[in-house]
Amino acid sequence: MSEMNELAAKLLSEGTVKVVIGYEQGPAGVRPAFITDPAKAETLIFDSRCVQNLAVYLNPRRSHVVTLGKVAVIVKGCDSKAVAGLIREYQVKREDIVIIGVRCGGVVRRADMTAELTADTVSDKCQDCDVREPKFCDHLVLPLPPAPPITTRRADKIAELTKMTPDERWAYWSEQLDRCIRCHACREVCPLCTCVQCIADKNRPQWIPTSATLQGDVMWQITRVLHLAGRCVDCQECERACPLDIPLGLLTRYVAQMVEKRFDYKASDDPSVVAPMGEYRTDDEEGFIL
Amino acid sequence: MTIKMVSHADLAALVAELIAGNTQVIAPVQAKENPAATDYKQIQKLEDATLGTLPRRSIKEFLFPPSEVFLRYKQHKGDVTVEEASLTRPKQVIIGAKPCDVASTDILDKVMNWDYRDELWFARREATTIVSLLCPGLDNNCFCTSVGAGPDSTSGSDAMLIPVDGGYLVELVTEKGKALFGARAKEVTDSKLLAKVEELRQEARKKVEQNLPVVPAEMPEWLAANFANVYWDTLPLRCHGCGACTFVCPTCHCFEIADEREDVGGGVRRRNWDACQTGKFTVHTSGHNPRNTQKERFRQRVMHKFSIYPKRFGDLLCTGCGRCARVCPGGMSIQEAVCQLMEIAGAEPQGNGK
Amino acid sequence: MSSKTPASGTGFEPKIIAFVCTWCTYTGADLAGTSRMQMPPNVRVVRLNCSSRVNPQFVMRAFERGADGVIISGCHPGDCHYSTGNYFTRRRIAIFSELLDFVGVDSRRLTMSWVSASQGGKWRDVVSKAIANVKELGPFHQFSQVEGGEQQ
Repeated sequence: MSEMNELAAKLLSEGTVKVVIGYEQGPAGVRPAFITDPAKAETLIFDSRCVQNLAVYLNPRRSHVVTLGKVAVIVKGCDSKAVAGLIREYQVKREDIVIIGVRCGGVVRRADMTAELTADTVSDKCQDCDVREPKFCDHLVLPLPPAPPITTRRADKIAELTKMTPDERWAYWSEQLDRCIRCHACREVCPLCTCVQCIADKNRPQWIPTSATLQGDVMWQITRVLHLAGRCVDCQECERACPLDIPLGLLTRYVAQMVEKRFDYKASDDPSVVAPMGEYRTDDEEGFIL
Repeated sequence: MTIKMVSHADLAALVAELIAGNTQVIAPVQAKENPAATDYKQIQKLEDATLGTLPRRSIKEFLFPPSEVFLRYKQHKGDVTVEEASLTRPKQVIIGAKPCDVASTDILDKVMNWDYRDELWFARREATTIVSLLCPGLDNNCFCTSVGAGPDSTSGSDAMLIPVDGGYLVELVTEKGKALFGARAKEVTDSKLLAKVEELRQEARKKVEQNLPVVPAEMPEWLAANFANVYWDTLPLRCHGCGACTFVCPTCHCFEIADEREDVGGGVRRRNWDACQTGKFTVHTSGHNPRNTQKERFRQRVMHKFSIYPKRFGDLLCTGCGRCARVCPGGMSIQEAVCQLMEIAGAEPQGNGK
Repeated sequence: MSSKTPASGTGFEPKIIAFVCTWCTYTGADLAGTSRMQMPPNVRVVRLNCSSRVNPQFVMRAFERGADGVIISGCHPGDCHYSTGNYFTRRRIAIFSELLDFVGVDSRRLTMSWVSASQGGKWRDVVSKAIANVKELGPFHQFSQVEGGEQQ
């Protein structure tokens, strides 16, 4: 039992929280765990296979989790930014949750991979990490592992795409997005997709075709990524969840880079920092405007 | 059971002949962006195919596409004309289909011919010939033998290929299968090969059988009687309600209807895949939602597959392909759920011989 | 599928939808009209109360429904009738336009401008420039592919 397990057991047995959301070993890899019994707190684990962003279970649309009662959630640094985002947008009240931060050395791309971190297996999101030791939390546990291995896989792909002509990029994206079957897994695993009625589900009027045609697929992804501009924390869950390996992380990362370049804003773990699309500066760049 | 032989060369020639005759040939093809994955796709020659793998999506999309137009309408002021889309479908042959995918076809035929005959389904069904490939059993997510299917099952196939040296043995299951291969299917001259087939079948079954015991015949009744069991409160907590499982599942078949305008004064009506796991699936126009939380929705999935469908049609609505567990971002596993339910039901794990 | 069909010499006349704000650009466009300024007829104007009313969905829908190009125009920064609307438009359309470009929809199809109520001449220039850009790019077909994912 590590300090993480002991803390979880204590929070439960003292009644501070009703459930601790963390990670456990499942039949097909590491998966989210919901511990309500202090005796079961010992099953919680944390290692480099813990790729999931558990902040998604704080999303008020998860009504079946909300009814369990006060929650303690185990978060890596990137996940804590999602929690901050939920609080910033009034989806969750700070006093309704207990945040347990874990010090992180990077995670692998998929939960069923082995724990060994190499340039090949490490997740793209770990490359730009500035919060290996979460700051936005009530408790901070576990020793700090070494920094994750470097891979420029994603940055290279984005650079390759930006050098192409619009036609070449369209050829790439239409090939990738044509596989989309509109399961909306990308939406459901995103902690920041909190709309009770998603614009894609609206049919009076219908803005986005629901069909799995290229037209519908492209319009859906553009909308989703646009609605996350300045809010996305780059947890890459959308890409991990896609059953057809569509490289959604390229889109979210590109938008995050755009936001950083134009508005000097990176996803913040401080809920009091205003997100960029909700504010402006009088001297914002306008070279593209006639 | 007619078993013949077909060489690699003859199979390639058959594919070439079919394509020359405007029949679409579909087989698993390696995915460009993820070389470890394949998708069922149209091929231009047999070498394009990567046989032996489980593609990311099932074959159901060739019988029931993710989006299918079935009506066209034109409107000019008060006049509306509606035209049903033609039911003529190009002939298609699927080669190298996984037995777990193929088994879904006979299962789904039942609901598709139940309260009305689904002409869209049967038009494609009739235009399709399916040649499956004996499966060696993939990984511990497979459980076809537990649900009445199997890596060697010919249920739904018109023919099944069994890889041997130099080519394949082919079990010609239906008249369609016999007609497809015609003279290319030659007599088996080496009787040792027939013994080999039995050996391959047993090996494959043994591999899969260790994953999950056979689902007992009493399961549908037990589930119906345990609708309110407390187990349902805790099982679906990690489920995101994303629907990825539904969309890759060979037997899930729910759809919604969408009208889309394609031009001024004209458009189409489509049927599109839908998933009972999504939040809005059962929302009524009043705003009431009888399946308001993931608890009810996940329970529904298990009930439909292991209780409601078998009680009505006699077949479990699951072929044990394991895709749902492989793609689930929340780590859910219907296999695990069934196992836990069997324990709760106090069922003795039954023997795995069929 | 290419986004570009060679347009020169084919007599291609683009359809352009312009989302304009009531207080500045619409009035400026009106002035262009009353001043008898000559401009090509390709632009259909949709009048909104403020440029920040433009939801990127409007732009996508315009493209989906047959527009080859879109113009968004409002008051100059500092002059917005609602004080700050156009500042948000600026941020929003900056991101949207660059995202379109990244996905492969040439952002030259989307023109954004500040046109005040007295700038009839500028409106004419904006319209002419937008039409010229879109003429060069050709008809827009990228949001028209309606066959089902990968197989029909």
